[in-house]
Amino acid sequence: MTQPMIEVEKLTKSYGGKRGIADVSFQVGEGEVFGFLGPNGAGKTTTIRVLMALLRADSGSARVAGLDCWDGSIAIKRLIGYVPGEPSLDPNLTGGQILEYFANLRGGVDQAYLKQLIQRLDLDPSRKFRQYSTGNKRKVVLIQAFMHRPRVLILDEPTSGLDPLNQQEFDSMVNEASAQGCTVFLSSHVLSEVEKTCTRVGIIREGRLVRTGGVHELKDIKRYEITIAFAEVVPVETFKALEGVADVEMLNNGHAVRLAMQGAADAVIKAASRYHVVSLTSYEPSLEDVFLRYYEGDGQVAPEPARV
Amino acid sequence: MGRWRRSPPVFRSIFLKTLRDYRIAILGWGIGMGLVIVSPMASVATLISTPQQRAALASLAASFAWNADPVKADTVGGYATFKIGIFVFLIVVWPLLAASRMLRGEEERSSLDVLLSVPRTRVRVAVEKVAAMWAALLAMAVLIGVIAFLGGKGFKADFTLVDGLLFGLNLALICAVFGGVALLASQFTQERGPAAGITAFVLLFAIVVDMVHRVIPNTDWVSRFSPIYYYNLSKPLIPSYGTSAGGMLVQLGLAAVLSGAAIWLFARRDVGSTVALPRWLSLPRRAPTTALPVRDWSLRSVYTRSLGMIGIPTFWWTLGIAAGAGWMVVVVQQLVGRMQTLLAGSPAFQHLLIQMGGAGAAFNASFLNAMFQLLPLLLMAFAVTQVNRWSADEDDGRLEIVLSTPHSRILVLLGRFAALATATVAIGLVTLAVTAIAASVVGVALDGTNLAEAVLGIIPMGLLVAAIGYLASGWLRTAADTGLVSFLLAAWFFISFIGPDLNWPDATLRVSPFYYYGSPLLHGLQLANVAVLLGVGIVALGLASLRFARKDIGV
Repeated sequence: MTQPMIEVEKLTKSYGGKRGIADVSFQVGEGEVFGFLGPNGAGKTTTIRVLMALLRADSGSARVAGLDCWDGSIAIKRLIGYVPGEPSLDPNLTGGQILEYFANLRGGVDQAYLKQLIQRLDLDPSRKFRQYSTGNKRKVVLIQAFMHRPRVLILDEPTSGLDPLNQQEFDSMVNEASAQGCTVFLSSHVLSEVEKTCTRVGIIREGRLVRTGGVHELKDIKRYEITIAFAEVVPVETFKALEGVADVEMLNNGHAVRLAMQGAADAVIKAASRYHVVSLTSYEPSLEDVFLRYYEGDGQVAPEPARV
Repeated sequence: MGRWRRSPPVFRSIFLKTLRDYRIAILGWGIGMGLVIVSPMASVATLISTPQQRAALASLAASFAWNADPVKADTVGGYATFKIGIFVFLIVVWPLLAASRMLRGEEERSSLDVLLSVPRTRVRVAVEKVAAMWAALLAMAVLIGVIAFLGGKGFKADFTLVDGLLFGLNLALICAVFGGVALLASQFTQERGPAAGITAFVLLFAIVVDMVHRVIPNTDWVSRFSPIYYYNLSKPLIPSYGTSAGGMLVQLGLAAVLSGAAIWLFARRDVGSTVALPRWLSLPRRAPTTALPVRDWSLRSVYTRSLGMIGIPTFWWTLGIAAGAGWMVVVVQQLVGRMQTLLAGSPAFQHLLIQMGGAGAAFNASFLNAMFQLLPLLLMAFAVTQVNRWSADEDDGRLEIVLSTPHSRILVLLGRFAALATATVAIGLVTLAVTAIAASVVGVALDGTNLAEAVLGIIPMGLLVAAIGYLASGWLRTAADTGLVSFLLAAWFFISFIGPDLNWPDATLRVSPFYYYGSPLLHGLQLANVAVLLGVGIVALGLASLRFARKDIGV
């Protein structure tokens, strides 16, 4: 990892007696795109709002560019572009007025770049905020976060409400920002988005960070499925005890099997080759599967009894 | 997983759920307003201890006819009815706010979309909500009536429980009328705030129109256009005067027609949109510009943006306050001649005038001084609305992105407060100009310096309320914050206007900012008193800034 731009150490925040986050620690390197994953209420927004100095941590530390998020908040905000989870803006202003207002408050906005962003996301800036659809409201908030070419982007579920075309455009914007050295901290539960844009991922559950690592590293806990169709009936016991097989399911009256795999498929291929194989299909799990699996238990991959 | 409990009965219909939402208002407003009615009853005994004083009180009340009909003002029920007079506007504040947010408020929060997804017609949803508000008003009426009856019994009044309940019912009816106005207005506005503002303006206008026939002879026909006229036809606390069934029916009819029209429009318009006005009624709109930068002056800073936001409400409040002050000057001119005759012949009368709101040798200033006590109250009410907006902006998450820009939290709060201060100064200056012009046009001689001090002296009062509201918002959410400052305002007002009648100690009277405002039209502003108001305001604002700089936002 490059020099850390965001450093979070044993960060804890509770709301009265209610859980927020507890002992959350991670680092995000400069220029890195970090995905922060978790279900609703896991603590993603709390972590982000502490980074933005909207909440004060009970204990632990959060630093951006070496500055404490609370004490150095104004200096940090000069570096940051921020998209809140539930953006709320003055409904009586037009998109253009909102962007101009925040451009004035931030300073250093290149008007040509701003117009380019408006074009890229296909926003009509002449309409009042209240008249925008959910997706268009999101575009206004995204543009205000990118328009001053920040060194750090903190984005709380940024693509919620965007159509697939605009999501694609957003992905390009993130990739370009990252290529120019911008650090991106992105929370999401749209895992395909994280898969496409992020280099590293952290998973938070019930206020605790259960795992961090590269997107590819996370897939080491993945399971994948193999479905094999045979010309004849094949006993499922053939596959049950094989190395790498976690679960076996009989299909089509014994003419096919679906295998839940964890590890190498060599033994399965060799066993299947003894029969007349009609077809063999393998499914790569998406990050969604990996993610959901993390929430089956307490973050550990739970062993499943093989089913026949 | 926890067992799903059967929902309590209040969640089984829109009517009951809405009524449940009003439960605190029913108790707070019902008991509070009941006590407001009882307060003047406590002081009447000291005002009518001799036949001369009794006669003088009746005569004096006649001279204050602009406030209320002077009927049997020398009795407990009559004095209470007279003293409350135009303060009916305080009582109407709740239905005004409740009705303006009844549908429009839910549309703003998008919660109406969900409610309208249940298998009920729009008309049914709206009717249930209106019915709940009317039921809440009836419950308040019962509370007010019972408290008025008990108060009357304590002070040996001659009205019965039925009279007390009819008094409460009459109040509930006028509240339902202005609730209907607010509901109708909210069909034409995108937000609840402007609907409440329009209704407040209509209310003040209706109060003034009702006043006309009591000030200018042979103008009864003018006042008949005001719903307040029909409210004033009933005086149930004066048994010999009684209740006007016709007046009550007119109010009921008006409330039904206004609410019915609002529901009819609501059922036909787009949810989240407004009823389209004919072109000749619509405000001219600037063509939207797609060109950037927009170069709008109000987008340059937090201060200018706050000023832009506060502009339209400031315009309406300025119109109301300045027009009210100008009207007071016109009214005073009508009363002075009559008053001079009465005052010359009766020392008891002079004593009463002092007890009822200020007196002195300068008649113009004496009368106007009594009426001008309303001005700081109005400006403070304006400040309460802006406290509500500040607090709501935080609750609604509108400060989130502003606070992500490189500006300190303290500067954001002070920028917002500075805009409010600018608005209050503007209201003060315009009111001063209107008052001076009105005095000059109708020929009322007033001390220019005292007039300026009386009008501009309301500014620190408004700022004090705002600072306290900003401070309380550091801990309280919008509803509680607005409720607290509204309660403080009502408490201060009654400490200052009822306290002297009840011979409350000076230490208690000093709790109210109205004490420090004094009688500037008569004696000018006391510098030390202004310093107290400003000092407390600055301390409150300082603490509000410190709290805002340290608190969790939106929690």
